[in-house]
Amino acid sequence: MHTTDEFAPPRRRFVSRHALSDRLLFLAPAGLYLLALTVFPFVYSVYLSLHRVKLTTLHRKRFTGLENYYDLFTDNLFLDALKNTAVLTVASITIEIILGFIAAKVFFSLRSSAAGSFMRSMSIIPMMITPICIGLIFSYIFNPTLGVANYVLGQASIEPLGWFSDPDVALTTIILVNSWQWTPFMMLLMLAGLTSIDQEQYEAAEVDGAKWHHVARWIEIPAIRGIVIVGVILRIIDNLRLFDIVYVTTRGGPGSSTEVVTFFAYKQDFQYFQVGYGSAAAVVILVISIIITTFAIRHLRRVENE
Amino acid sequence: MSRLVRRKALALLGGMVIMFIFTAPIIWMFLASFKPIAQIFSIPPVWVPDFGHLGNYAKLLSENWQFLLNSVIITLSATLLCMVISLPAAFALTQFRFRGRNFFADWVLSTRMMPPIAAAVPLYIVVNSIGMIDTIWALIVIYAGFNIPFAVWVAMSFFRKVPKEVLEAAELEGCTSGQTFLKVALPLSKSGIATVATFVFIFAWNELLLALFLTTRAAKTFPVVISSFVTTSMTFWEMIAAATVIQAIPTVIFTLLMQRHIVSGLTMGAVKN
Repeated sequence: MHTTDEFAPPRRRFVSRHALSDRLLFLAPAGLYLLALTVFPFVYSVYLSLHRVKLTTLHRKRFTGLENYYDLFTDNLFLDALKNTAVLTVASITIEIILGFIAAKVFFSLRSSAAGSFMRSMSIIPMMITPICIGLIFSYIFNPTLGVANYVLGQASIEPLGWFSDPDVALTTIILVNSWQWTPFMMLLMLAGLTSIDQEQYEAAEVDGAKWHHVARWIEIPAIRGIVIVGVILRIIDNLRLFDIVYVTTRGGPGSSTEVVTFFAYKQDFQYFQVGYGSAAAVVILVISIIITTFAIRHLRRVENE
Repeated sequence: MSRLVRRKALALLGGMVIMFIFTAPIIWMFLASFKPIAQIFSIPPVWVPDFGHLGNYAKLLSENWQFLLNSVIITLSATLLCMVISLPAAFALTQFRFRGRNFFADWVLSTRMMPPIAAAVPLYIVVNSIGMIDTIWALIVIYAGFNIPFAVWVAMSFFRKVPKEVLEAAELEGCTSGQTFLKVALPLSKSGIATVATFVFIFAWNELLLALFLTTRAAKTFPVVISSFVTTSMTFWEMIAAATVIQAIPTVIFTLLMQRHIVSGLTMGAVKN
């Protein structure tokens, strides 16, 4: 037995030396931390969502089963929040993909110039800026009477817009601000994809007399699709959490025109103290996230292994 | 040839337009930070302010420096704590072979996808019941925790690049796993660790939702202070402008320094550039 052991491949030997105690030492802190900070709160949120309970009088809770959920799905404000979140997510991501692709093409063709890389570096600044500051920057620009946006429109003899104050416009403005912040992210992703394309494919296409849309359809889109799906997944998750921008600009208004799910749950929890009801809303967000995540993890692993 | 030159010129023009779109709003707020209140909303707008006017910054910092300090302390400590917890886990998940390894990694990743709002009330209740509301400790512990999934997952992608042979050699020399990790894997992954740490720093630096209800006075972070400049009766634009610039400084520096790693960082290592 000893002799065979000596000739065993070194990898197996390396592996076999990691005792259980090592694994615990390395993994237990992170595992316990995540259990305490995410899994426990989520389970507790589900528990709270089955009760009628106020944050100020936690000891007086009454089990009501699924009543909060029933109320939630007959509450027009929550339904509006769901609808707005869906519209906002789809519209923002669509804009981000289209503008991101155009921007990626521009910077791809400038990739060897210093001016190009300078302009690219400057263009990606928005996505790291604190979201609450992004919201404030735009409520400054889009101030209805004194903002610079309406001033410029006025110079061009266009009627001023109630960017954040007109119920028909406010959600569009939030979508614009949101996609303004995250188009650079999509652009960088697509740029990474475009860079991976073999230059010879472009040359071959040119020799064959392919039009730009042929190149896009048959060379570029296939090359960036996997990466873009990663971006889309992460952006869906982000949009479900959208809070900061709404919190400092419209607070969900006017009316319910910019109400979004995370802000709805926050208001129920910490302004009306209806934590049972707020938790039910949070659990709905959680369930949507879990559905997306199940799909996302498989995809992230696949892209990573490519 | 002329067609090529024209295309190049067109691309440069396009690049300038794109750069304008994505920087102009930020620059407009930057300019406002040097304007006295009367100029912030004057019609026609004051396009170029007097950059010597630092009154907004002076007022902001003299009244709120302790909250800026809170933000710095909380963010740095949370980043450090997060790294201490995450790096060993990432190392084990890439180097140890054991049953349930992929399951553990996927579970870690799935917690990154979960919405913080679903943890909000329970965290508030727990933090409140141990008397830690409005302390920087609560925020440090919670910010560190919420960034563990991200840190573990990205750290895994660079621990995988450490050559197997080097680690095996260390083990054969009689190093324990702990020594291999500390003396071999960590030094070989310095730049990767720096990348993850800066990302965690920025995420914690930008956070608002949790800080809003976990702080009331003493432990307020800078984003909470910024949000409090918008009141129902009036908005303190001169303060907001100066605060936005200060709040943006670390993020802008980070973006410019780290741009090569931003894609792989934000996609948690799934996309490499």
